[in-house]
Amino acid sequence: MRRELLNLVIGLTLTLAGGPLFAQTIGPGGETATPTAEITVPENSMEKLKAEGHTAALLWHDQSDFVNAVTAGATDEFARFGIEVVATTSAGFDAAKQRSDIETALIKDPSIILSLPLDPVTSAAAFKEAKESGVKLVFLSNLPADYQHPGDYAAIVTDDLFQMGKQAADALAASMGETGTVGWIYHDAAYYVTNQRDNAFKTTIENDYPNMSIVAEQGISDPARAEEIANAMLLRNPDLGGIYVTWAGPAEGVLAALRANGNTTTKIVTLDLSEPVALDMVNGGNVAAIVADEAYELGRAMAAAGILDLLGQEVPPFIVAPAVTVTADNVVDGWKQSLNIEAPESVR
Amino acid sequence: MTDAEPVLSLQNVHKAFGGVVAIEEFSLDLRAGQIVALVGDNGAGKSTLIKIISGVHTPTSGGIRLDGEPTAFADASSARSNGIEVVYQDLALADQQPVYMNMFLGRELTKQPFGLLDKSRMRQQTQTLVDELDIRIPSVNSTISDLSGGQRQGVAIARATHWASKLILLDEPTAALGVAETARVEELIISLKTKNLAILMVSHSLDQVFRLSDRICVLRRGVQIGIRETAKTDKNEIVSMITGVS
Amino acid sequence: MERLRSRSIGTDIQQWIVYIGFLAIFLFFALTLHDDGFLTQRNLTNIILQTAPATIMAVGLVFALSAGEIDLSFGSIVAVAALSAAVAMQHYSMPIGVIAGLAAGVFIGAFNGVLVAYLKLPSFLVTLATMGLFAGIARTMTDLRSIPVVNETFTGIFGSGKLFSIPSLVIWTAIAVIIGHLVYRHTKFGAHVLATGDNARAAQVSGIKVPRVRFYVLTICGACAGLAGLLYAGRLQAAKYTLGESDLMTVIAAVIVGGTALNGGKGSVMGALVGSVLMGMLNNGLILMNLKVSDQMIVRGLIILLAVAISLRDTKR
Repeated sequence: MRRELLNLVIGLTLTLAGGPLFAQTIGPGGETATPTAEITVPENSMEKLKAEGHTAALLWHDQSDFVNAVTAGATDEFARFGIEVVATTSAGFDAAKQRSDIETALIKDPSIILSLPLDPVTSAAAFKEAKESGVKLVFLSNLPADYQHPGDYAAIVTDDLFQMGKQAADALAASMGETGTVGWIYHDAAYYVTNQRDNAFKTTIENDYPNMSIVAEQGISDPARAEEIANAMLLRNPDLGGIYVTWAGPAEGVLAALRANGNTTTKIVTLDLSEPVALDMVNGGNVAAIVADEAYELGRAMAAAGILDLLGQEVPPFIVAPAVTVTADNVVDGWKQSLNIEAPESVR
Repeated sequence: MTDAEPVLSLQNVHKAFGGVVAIEEFSLDLRAGQIVALVGDNGAGKSTLIKIISGVHTPTSGGIRLDGEPTAFADASSARSNGIEVVYQDLALADQQPVYMNMFLGRELTKQPFGLLDKSRMRQQTQTLVDELDIRIPSVNSTISDLSGGQRQGVAIARATHWASKLILLDEPTAALGVAETARVEELIISLKTKNLAILMVSHSLDQVFRLSDRICVLRRGVQIGIRETAKTDKNEIVSMITGVS
Repeated sequence: MERLRSRSIGTDIQQWIVYIGFLAIFLFFALTLHDDGFLTQRNLTNIILQTAPATIMAVGLVFALSAGEIDLSFGSIVAVAALSAAVAMQHYSMPIGVIAGLAAGVFIGAFNGVLVAYLKLPSFLVTLATMGLFAGIARTMTDLRSIPVVNETFTGIFGSGKLFSIPSLVIWTAIAVIIGHLVYRHTKFGAHVLATGDNARAAQVSGIKVPRVRFYVLTICGACAGLAGLLYAGRLQAAKYTLGESDLMTVIAAVIVGGTALNGGKGSVMGALVGSVLMGMLNNGLILMNLKVSDQMIVRGLIILLAVAISLRDTKR
């Protein structure tokens, strides 16, 4: 589900690849993260904002349930302050289309633009006109090359990647009684988003859980091969207590391998919501927990950051949205909290 | 009439493909203002002969003389540039192009200084030609696909007439036409005689052959059976020559 | 005779349908989006600028389709050309970058052309394969990295510059369309392209060198895609492997809506221009209407379907 996001964050990768791993999510320029909860627009500015009649444009990279949830969060927040969303676009990962979308949206003179720049290099020129005409820019996950805070943009908002990995480790530990052996299936590619999350899981197990050990590590680049990778891992380590899988797509393959082996004891944790994985979880299968980002909250914070900039207030440069651990007990709420949609019928 | 120097003369032409003999030994003189009909059953070698004359095939042995000069056509273009035109059974027209562009297909007229197409001259020459041959089409700008079968045949024949200075080969000129249209096209073919062109026509219709031709040349399984003057023969003789049954 | 006349009037209407459709949609947007800035000079200029690369690709495609061939690979050619230009500019100079971009386009087009014209492989399959091949090469060239283009002369000439206050992208579009139109309608080559696509055998027996025509139309497609790649690189001040990738369907739709037959023998460069701008205008207007993204796609799809249905209605015999 989140692979689309993975492709995008090459810019951050360039800044961070090979660099030290931090015990928290940090921004592309090394900025410390501010939780979205701290980004709130004072209620007393409501009248003023409503009177000024601002508008906003949402210029996304693609369409997905993640984007829908971010859009919903942003739109609701804007609506509270009387800000109308006047254009919504999807570039379908086409840098040239994104450029055109920005130009078209600017015709409507929006006060705020929320966008995921497709990559730092191509988006630098694309957002130039918007930047120069004083539109408040709030970016999702990615930053156009050489843009400076706070002059050029209001903020970057992204997932709290470290927290997602950490919460996955905590959830797996809880389901295993904080003891046992763990298999670690990580994304074998230089992608900032997955690398941060995978390494946060590993660091947390190693540092916080002395009675747990990672005994098998296996990289995966093609999610379709997840099942055979899991089979090989289980063959060598038949008594694995738990497996971490980098995201939900390959987790489905790992689940298939466990079922084929008649294994009902090994626990699985993974990231990003997926109906088949959640279904196994609510039916008391192998899946212990799914950690998801709060996309709706992320969208709300993007809108709030733009509004704060509009009000001339200081906005922290790097904002992260919290992660939510979804287990069989809170699957309905978790779905709502993450994607702002009802959980699929099958898992309710 | 027979005294005139032949425009094209085939002398002992022999054609074999590998070991298979297609034309045994063939001689024929074609004269200006005369229509010769080439008849024979399927596989008799008629289309091979047409291809030899139009330069597509070169004879294995034997000679071709053009205006008395020994000639060898390297390809279809060289036959064309020597004034020999073919009207193919499928007409070889570009259906979605206008009549005037088909008239000049592959030989478009251009004008200086940029070498752009001279459409007005092509239209005007086409108009002159269709008027002269009395080919009734709505306009020289008409698209071929909007024309009837007879009109298309007319355009194809007019094109050949325009470019041929010596000889026109007609391959089954009325095979796909109705009665009225066939009559129109036959009138057109007869009128070509006055343009001082030699005409070699392949036809399956003996009635038509007798209506149009001056001489009839019969082929059977690659062998030239004989040439008759149309006025001095009859259908029975030709049929028995074609079939070999007397 | 009556039947003939009414049929040719039908053909005339069909020829004009792209212009009628364009006007209708323009008027619709002009009326409904009057207050949303649709009619501002800036917005109308944007539409032309945004469609410039697609229009130039469309000009190339008119030649290929008219000759009875198709090019599916031009999107990949755009990416390779843009990246070639960007990389060459980083290492050498602006002129070498331009030459590298155009040469990449011409070379790949000629490669397609040789396979189709002289090895007699169907262009659909050849360019389907080279589409993937060169998309892969574009990804390999820079390991998926985007390459910035900082040379201001280049970004001026191929991107944001102006000449006598006319944006350079408009000038490139005009040059490509005018030359394309002249060659297509008023030269022997153009006539031979049409004849080849209409009836290849008739063209052959009329002395037209059919393989050579096929080779040239695919090379022209490549050259146009190369130029489009330069324009993208100039406009985005960067080159990326995804450039051009999503243009395939838009450009094919623009060309078909513009009155070019998918199976050859008939077409229009001017129609392709109008078709391409129509596509850009649809994108623009539907965004300004503030439709949801999915709804934009649905409406756009329906309008293209309608337009294609009308323009193909009586070419099916």
